[in-house]
Amino acid sequence: MTLLSGLVIVVMAVALLRALMPSRPILSAVAGGPAAIVLLALYWRDLLGMDFWAGAVGFVAILSALLVVLHPNPMVSVLFLILNLLCVALFYIMLHAHLLAALQVIVYAGAIMVLFVFVIMLLNLKSEEGLRLGRGRQRWPAHLLGVGFAGILFWVLRHRTDQAFADSPRWLEGFGTARDMGTLLFTDFVFATEIASVLLVAAMVGAVILAKRRLD
Amino acid sequence: MNPLTARLLLEATIKIALLFFVNLTAVAYMTLVERRVCAWIQDRSGPNRVGPFGLLQPLADGIKFIFKEAITPPQAHKALYLLAPVIIFVPAMAAFSVIPIGPPLMILGRAVPLQIADVDSGLLVILGLSSLGVYGIALAGWSSNNKYSLMGGLRSSAQLISYELAMGFAVVGVLMSAGSLRLNDVVERQMQHGWNILWQFPGFLVFLTAAFAETNRLPFDLPEAESELVAGYHTEYSGMRFSMFYMAEYLNMITASALVTTLYFGGYHVPGLAALDLNPTLAALIQVGAFLAKVAFFLFVYVWVRWTLPRFRYDQLMNLGWKVLLPIAVAHVLWVAFIILMGWA
Repeated sequence: MTLLSGLVIVVMAVALLRALMPSRPILSAVAGGPAAIVLLALYWRDLLGMDFWAGAVGFVAILSALLVVLHPNPMVSVLFLILNLLCVALFYIMLHAHLLAALQVIVYAGAIMVLFVFVIMLLNLKSEEGLRLGRGRQRWPAHLLGVGFAGILFWVLRHRTDQAFADSPRWLEGFGTARDMGTLLFTDFVFATEIASVLLVAAMVGAVILAKRRLD
Repeated sequence: MNPLTARLLLEATIKIALLFFVNLTAVAYMTLVERRVCAWIQDRSGPNRVGPFGLLQPLADGIKFIFKEAITPPQAHKALYLLAPVIIFVPAMAAFSVIPIGPPLMILGRAVPLQIADVDSGLLVILGLSSLGVYGIALAGWSSNNKYSLMGGLRSSAQLISYELAMGFAVVGVLMSAGSLRLNDVVERQMQHGWNILWQFPGFLVFLTAAFAETNRLPFDLPEAESELVAGYHTEYSGMRFSMFYMAEYLNMITASALVTTLYFGGYHVPGLAALDLNPTLAALIQVGAFLAKVAFFLFVYVWVRWTLPRFRYDQLMNLGWKVLLPIAVAHVLWVAFIILMGWA
C-alpha cells in the first residue's frame, strides 16, 4: 500500500504543477517521472500483492467518477463513465465474480454506454452548454441528496463486518461461475428474478407508448 | 518466487508474444490475400511486383505507412482523436486470447494449454471485448470534427446495437448444447457429439451474418461506405494511425473466423484422428494445423463475400437485423431447446 499512496501523491503533485505552470508541461514530467520510478524500485514487492491492485483500481475508479461530473465536455465525461464501469468490472474479478464482470462489461460498458455516445453524437452537444456545475433550480435538492448519500455510505462503512458474505461453504464451491449463478437465480432468488423481468417489460412498454404518442 | 509461478509467467509471456507476432503477420498477409483474391475474382493480376508473387508487398505497405505524415486536423478534439485508434486496436487484439487453438501440448513435463486465458465465461469475454471496439469507431468519427466522419461513427453505433442482439441469441444455442460458456467445453462437447453445424445451421447463418456486421465488412461496411461518406470514420486519419484502423479490422476478422470455427466447426477437432492412435505431440500439432486451416477458410469466405455482394442500404441493414435475423435467432433457440429436451442431441 505504501507504493500506492506514494504514486497517488506523485500524480497529485504532477497535476498541481501542470495547473500552476501550464506553459511548461515538460517540467511536471521531469518531476513526476523519476519520482514514480524511484517509488516503483523501492516498493516493487507491493506490485505482487492483491491489496495494491485493489487500491490502484479504486483510485482510478474514484478519479474517473469525479471527472465524469467535473469535465466540461460531455463526450469526455461519457468516456470517463465507461472507465469507471470497467473499474467496477475489475473489482468483480477480484471478488471472483467472473460472470458478473463479463456481464458488467457487455451490458453497461458495452450496450448502454453506446447509447449514451450515440445520443451525444446525435444532439451534437458542445462543451459547457447548460452543463456547468451548481446552476439551476435543482441545485439545493441535489446538494441535499448528495450529503444524504454520503452519510449513508459513511454509516455503511462504519458498521460493516469483516466477515465476507462468501464464507458460506455452499457459495465457495464454484462461486461466480455461470452455472452457480444461474442455479441461484432460478432457485433461491427466482421471485426477485421474475419481478425484475416484469419491471423491465413494464418500462419497455412505457417507453414505446411515450415514443408513439409524440409521433401522432 | 517459486519455480512453478516463474514457469507459468514465462509460458504466458511467450504465448502472448507469439499471439502478437502470428496475428500481426497474418494481418499483413491478409491484406495481400485480399488484394490478390479480389484481382482473381475480377480477372486481374493484382500486386505481383514486390518480391515473388508480390509476397513482399505487405512489407512495402508497412514502410510506406510509417513514413507518411501523421496529420491532425486543426478542428479535431486532439486527445480523443489520438486515443480512438488505440481504443479500437486493443480489444481487437485481446479478444483472441480466450480462444483455444489446440489441445494441451506436453512441453518439458507439463501440459501447456494452447490458449492464453482459460476463462470460465470465455464466450462472454469475447462478446464484451467486441462491443468495446465500437467506441474506437464512434470516437474517431466524432473527434475528427468532419460531417462524413460523424455519419460513419453514428452508423457504426446504430449497427452494433442492431446486430449484437441477434449474435447473442445465435450463441445461446451453442452454449445450451455445451452447458457451459467455456470455449474448451464447447470444443470438447463437439468432439464427443459431432460438430454443432450439423444441427444448428440457422444459428450459424445468423452468427456469420452478424459477424460480418460486427467487423464492418462488406456487405455491411456502412460506417466507411466510400461511395457516400468518402472513407467514413477514418476519413481524417493518415499514416500509421490509419493503418491501426485497418489492422483492427483484419484482427477482428481473424477473431470472428476463429470464433465461428470454435463454435460451429469443432474448433481444433479432426474427425477420426483419435482412432489413428498417433503420438500425442504429433496429434496435437495436426489439430492446431486443422484449426488454422478452418480459420483460413473463413477468412477466405470474408474476402470472397466482399468482392461478390454489393453494399446494403442503411434501412435494409436495419430491417435485416431486427426483422429477419433476430426472429430467426429466437426461433433457433427454441429449436435447440426442443432437441435437447427430447434427448436427440
